[in-house]
Amino acid sequence: MSNTETELKRLIVDTLALEDIDAADIDSSAPLFNGGLGLDSIDALELGVAIRKQYRVKIDAEQDDVAQIFSSVAALAQFIDSARS
Amino acid sequence: MAYPFIIRRWSAWAPGVQTQDDWQQFAAGRKPPDHQAPPPLQSTPKPLQRRLSPLAKAAMFVVEQCLAPGEQMPAVFSSSHGEIGKCLDMLNDLQQGEELSPTAFSLSVHNAIAGLFSIAYANRCEINCVAPGAGGLGPGLIEALGLLHSGYGEVLLVYYDEVLPDFFPATGFAASLPFPCAAALRLTLDGPGLALEFSPTSSTRQDGDQPLQLPAFIEFLAADRSRLHLGNGGRGWQWQKL
Repeated sequence: MSNTETELKRLIVDTLALEDIDAADIDSSAPLFNGGLGLDSIDALELGVAIRKQYRVKIDAEQDDVAQIFSSVAALAQFIDSARS
Repeated sequence: MAYPFIIRRWSAWAPGVQTQDDWQQFAAGRKPPDHQAPPPLQSTPKPLQRRLSPLAKAAMFVVEQCLAPGEQMPAVFSSSHGEIGKCLDMLNDLQQGEELSPTAFSLSVHNAIAGLFSIAYANRCEINCVAPGAGGLGPGLIEALGLLHSGYGEVLLVYYDEVLPDFFPATGFAASLPFPCAAALRLTLDGPGLALEFSPTSSTRQDGDQPLQLPAFIEFLAADRSRLHLGNGGRGWQWQKL
């Protein structure tokens, strides 16, 4: 598991106040929305802002494949790593 | 003109003061509020709970004491200033060029707690929100009585307010509670319960020691007192136990 994935799990738990979830228990390949962690569209916006602040990476709803990027922690980490490199 | 009504059940919270016995102790001057957070919520869904501010948790706590899970009835939410601390935080973020939290922004309206209540209870009945400012408790009750007189059998009335942040001038602008406070009243026009009569008065007699009046009203409910006068700015309200 990449460092970014580990960081992202902590970011998700902290940003979205998922008090009952241990970051280490989040499955990197599980869907974040529609099942999985049960996050909703406000959470997606909140995560987008947190990622912009922490990684200086902007997810562009017009150009990027947002559904794919947010499909799992692994996909999100991959997008962030490639956008930063 | 006096308007009779019945409180079928009530619940109130201030830090560390949350049972009827606590409020009787509070009324007797033996239980000053401390700094405790509201107790854990029982029936509000977990994913919703993480969106609740401490004040919203307090409001939902008192609602849970009065309403069974999924129980439906029209409601009135009355708060002089709402979640004003959260709004001030957002304004400070904007001033510093920070991006706003979408979650905080989505819940920054005066009816946000009422909205979360409607989701938690899947409540499809009418809900009104009142921002009475220094008008205190009268306007919310008038709204609730209006709903009862228009034919609803029961109405839930929820009051909540927090301590105004220091940013706001204490005089000439706004009134603050000395501690956060929330109360839920389950109202009806007949049947068992605590029978009261409410009347607007021109008297400005003030039995409460602060302008937002909520702790004074709860104290009146809990204590062995028959009458309460609350006045503000030339307008007054009177409650009489029947």
